[in-house]
Amino acid sequence: MSEATDLASAASGTDPRAGLRATLALRRLADSLEALQVDNARRHGWSWQEIADALEVSKQAVHKKYASRRPAAQTWED
Amino acid sequence: MFERFTNDARETVNRARREAEESGADPIGTHHLLLALASPDAGLAHEVLRGAGLDERRIRAEIARLVSTPTRALGEEDAAALRTIGIDLDSVLARIGESFGPDALRTVGEVPAEETLRRRSRRVGRFTPRARKVVELALREAIRLRDRQIGSEHLLLGLIREGDGLACRILVDNGIEPGDLRNALLARRERAA
Repeated sequence: MSEATDLASAASGTDPRAGLRATLALRRLADSLEALQVDNARRHGWSWQEIADALEVSKQAVHKKYASRRPAAQTWED
Repeated sequence: MFERFTNDARETVNRARREAEESGADPIGTHHLLLALASPDAGLAHEVLRGAGLDERRIRAEIARLVSTPTRALGEEDAAALRTIGIDLDSVLARIGESFGPDALRTVGEVPAEETLRRRSRRVGRFTPRARKVVELALREAIRLRDRQIGSEHLLLGLIREGDGLACRILVDNGIEPGDLRNALLARRERAA
């Protein structure tokens, strides 16, 4: 608890370590949410293009990142 | 299916099988075959791949890039770090849990343990449909070249002919034109003969 409080006071200040760690955690959270919602969109029948538009990335980027995890939508298979 | 394989080709398949098992009991995929063909023990196939700039290390890195899951579990340290910028991870997880079930966000991208076990018992040593196709095409390549046995070089030719697998994607991503690789292999064979 005190560790978290220490970290909290450090991050609101200028300690790079704490600030960067918060950035990493936020990225992990964003990545998890993205993966969850991409799966969700696919289950709702969204195309890769529609998902890419919503995320404001290229269709190739989103397909490359997620298609291999979903055999049903796979183009490049193992 | 493997009666006409040379020892060299059998060893290649065994290496691919070990690679698949070590990667978590996946069925053998075309990328495992490519990795096995890049081994120095694979003779001609190894030489041709190395000539094109692909070695085992490079292929492993490519596989990691292509098949890794994009997320890592959010742990206690992440929760603490998020608190420092005003985000309460528990309430985020609770909100998402309302729609997607508890732990949905923490476990997304992970294969549930139960499913891993089922896959393990069912699929160990098996081929993905594409990898099976590669083996069939290797046989056809051997027949076409009037070879009596299937060697590792025929497996590489089969892999190239199959065309759509993860292995071919690795070739293409590394600037290798599969047709050129095929020609290089055939030219080398002739020189060796």
